[in-house]
Amino acid sequence: MSDTTTPKENLVMNHLVSLSYSEELTPILERYVDALIDGRIVGHKCPQCGRVYVPGKGYCPICVVETTDKDEFEVSDRGTVTGFTIITPVAYYGQTETEPFVYASVLLDGSSGNLGGQDIIGVAHDQLHSGMRVRAVWKPPNERTAEGVSNRGWGSVASVIDAFEWTGEPDADRSVYEEHIF
Amino acid sequence: MTEQAAVIGVGQTHHKKKRADVSIPGLLREAALRALDDAECTWADIDAVVIGKAPDAFEGIVQPELFLADALGGAGKPMLRVHTAGSVGGSTFIVGSHLIESQIHDRVLAIAWEKQSEGNAQWGLAGGRGRGIGAGGAFAPWIRAYIEKTGAPEYIGWQVAVKDRLNALKNPYAHLHLPDITIETVKESAMLWDPLRFLESCPSSDGACAVVLTNAATAKKASKPAAYIAATAVKSELGQFPGRDPVRPQAGVECAHDVYRQAGIGVPRQEIDVAEIYVPFSWYEPMWLEGHDIAGPGEGWKMVEGGDTELTGSFPVNASGGVLSSNPIGASGMLRFAEAALQVRGQAGEHQVDGVRTALAQAYGGAAQYFAMGILRNEPA
Amino acid sequence: MAATDIAVVGFAQTPSVRKARESEVQLLVPIVTEALARAGLDRREVGFTCAGSCDYLTGGPFAFVSNLEAAGAWPPISESHVEMDGAWALYEAWVRLQHGDIDTALVFGSGKSSPSKPEEMWAQQLDPYYLAPLGVDPASLAGIQARALIDAGKATERDFAEVVARNRANAKDNPNAQVSGDYSVDKLLQAPYVRAPLRAHDFPPISDGAVAVVLARGDRARELCDRPAWIRGLDHRIEVHQPGMRDLTASTSTTLAARKAGYDGGPLDVIELSSTFSPQEIILREALGLDADANVNPSGGALAGNPVMATGLVRIAEVAQRIVEGSAGRGLAHATGGQVLQHNLVCLMEGD
Ligand SMILES: [Zn+2]
Repeated sequence: MSDTTTPKENLVMNHLVSLSYSEELTPILERYVDALIDGRIVGHKCPQCGRVYVPGKGYCPICVVETTDKDEFEVSDRGTVTGFTIITPVAYYGQTETEPFVYASVLLDGSSGNLGGQDIIGVAHDQLHSGMRVRAVWKPPNERTAEGVSNRGWGSVASVIDAFEWTGEPDADRSVYEEHIF
Repeated sequence: MTEQAAVIGVGQTHHKKKRADVSIPGLLREAALRALDDAECTWADIDAVVIGKAPDAFEGIVQPELFLADALGGAGKPMLRVHTAGSVGGSTFIVGSHLIESQIHDRVLAIAWEKQSEGNAQWGLAGGRGRGIGAGGAFAPWIRAYIEKTGAPEYIGWQVAVKDRLNALKNPYAHLHLPDITIETVKESAMLWDPLRFLESCPSSDGACAVVLTNAATAKKASKPAAYIAATAVKSELGQFPGRDPVRPQAGVECAHDVYRQAGIGVPRQEIDVAEIYVPFSWYEPMWLEGHDIAGPGEGWKMVEGGDTELTGSFPVNASGGVLSSNPIGASGMLRFAEAALQVRGQAGEHQVDGVRTALAQAYGGAAQYFAMGILRNEPA
Repeated sequence: MAATDIAVVGFAQTPSVRKARESEVQLLVPIVTEALARAGLDRREVGFTCAGSCDYLTGGPFAFVSNLEAAGAWPPISESHVEMDGAWALYEAWVRLQHGDIDTALVFGSGKSSPSKPEEMWAQQLDPYYLAPLGVDPASLAGIQARALIDAGKATERDFAEVVARNRANAKDNPNAQVSGDYSVDKLLQAPYVRAPLRAHDFPPISDGAVAVVLARGDRARELCDRPAWIRGLDHRIEVHQPGMRDLTASTSTTLAARKAGYDGGPLDVIELSSTFSPQEIILREALGLDADANVNPSGGALAGNPVMATGLVRIAEVAQRIVEGSAGRGLAHATGGQVLQHNLVCLMEGD
């Protein structure tokens, strides 16, 4: 059996499909976005285990209990880099990146989980390391939008925070973030 | 109340970057017909079809098994579509084995596939958005953590990359055949996701894999040797929460212990003769050797360094060339089970390991959070 | 020979709504909790979990991964997922329970149809080479099916309207229904066509929703539930995909699945059918050999609420609930997948 037979004529019919989805943000995410535009980062603190999720999910996945506005909890816009990689972007339809970029996880002070996929500025790629203290570089208030925040858990802060920059503080002790590396 | 299940037929396609010569149904039929042929049966002998693939977004077809029913002789039969991320090929095999063990069916075709060239998996992985990082970008930080934790030298990853590609030269179905690969060429290949280099990463492949499963009683009567399923297990855990160890996920530890217990294996490193493990990036070989308690903490990379996992080593891993040599994503997990079956049946051809009686198959997926594992033997229980 | 001592012992569902303001996981969390509570089972005791959902419906690859959060997957759990209606997740769990080494399972199905445009999204479910490029949507195929039914002399437009009126009236007693009320058949027949011979009311509503079911085996089932809904038979069958290669006025796979599930044509106190378009109820009634006075869709069925990927499992939950609560002794639930009834599942249940 040969699997390399090439037909004499290649008939190509491109079938590009575009599907659109639109959905109102959940009330929890609406409050989250309103706070972000206001320059604050809020999440939910689980009433059972105390873990803080940013943004709030409306439940704690560990305890499987619901959380509500009553469980809202503000976290800092400063935090610690817990892990990172430098991504060489792979080209695909819709890829927006062409140059290697930082993809870091930041544990905000007061939060139990990381913000993934953050850019770190103010430091060369080869100087990046876990434990670095960073702070949010907010967009000007009039440029902050809800764009990209979705009920599917994407785009948590990119529309309000450009990147995180090194604060110059000494590195955090490993014990601060070792439970939160990922 | 249960009966042992066995593999009596294995089939796979020639995996390639682009199988332009076949449609999606043609690709699946190529694997299925080889499996039927190997099992010495026909479409009519199949009672049910279990089919698996990774996200539908990879080809852009919603629930493609519905249109594939026609090509797979599905009409009038039960057809079940499994989707458990990268582990799906393994899960699909396991669901198929359950249909036999439960005595609901006598002969089941389990098939898994991906035709990456007819879609765009990178687009799919990114959910259609920009700034996609690919699977390598997601796993790189954990690989870095493994290296930091164990102090493994950087050439370990290069060694695995070379070993699997040399094994693939003995596997006619493998996508990558790189006869000239050396530690040097891996080391000098482009850095994609620090610390992962291009040659330490899996290719993207078109391919399918199928197995015919039946009960042990029927398998014993077959003219060819069968692979008897001694144990299977699936385990999943949340992808991200404080305190999670993604380098050695608890679900992977528990899944492994579950299959060892079922198969009566006390010392996996000694009692397993060959392992087919899902290693899409070179470093996952030592990581899973430790993550499944085949090697002790920090000992996995030493098994690689010492050549234990080579084809002629004391614990051969991925004699087929593994995911590093062929990666039709949805099928990659089933290929691990299929290759393990070929090994215990003594039918792996040039990449056959001598005297295999017990083989381990493993697939994982998601954020290293979904596991499907099995133990196959050359004799019934 | 499959075990016949596996039963539904717990269930819960969300109301079907046009636009849920909760995420899919948020829909699942309370009903998973409620279904387990109903069975008096701690989630850590669950032996196996299986979910049904669809990435394309949610609008993202690996959408089911977040749904794992509703299962409480820490510590790790034995778990699987089907890219199918939750009824097939129940099938996989039922198969797993046959082994006898575990005695409980949690099953759920969920979907939000509101974010997508169903007509463009479900068109991608068709053969990508020969059908999808034509842009045929499910509603048009349903129209072709309805036309075939009329041309075969098996039904009239009035019959379709009667199905709608009956289901909507039944739904008045269902707190989870999205569409309910008293409708006159004559008035319904005055509505304009959407896909002739189908009118808007012949189609299901666009729904968001979720359902969870708890299964248990043998003595464990009796321990968890006073009157378990025993699954006496469960089977599913698929047909060829190409609509042109099928008799669209019949559902041979439903007939076959019912036979394989052990349905002998005997009396049924309750039947719940996943007939998402009104003509399909007529086709399914014939496929199952039901009498004209059979108690079909007391919940209002899929025409009263259609949370895709949960709709079929909701049917099983509705029948099980009536058995558990003692208002029915024997019932049959049906689920469907694909377009114009390509894939069908039949679940036959009984009380003690
Ligand atoms: Zn909690």
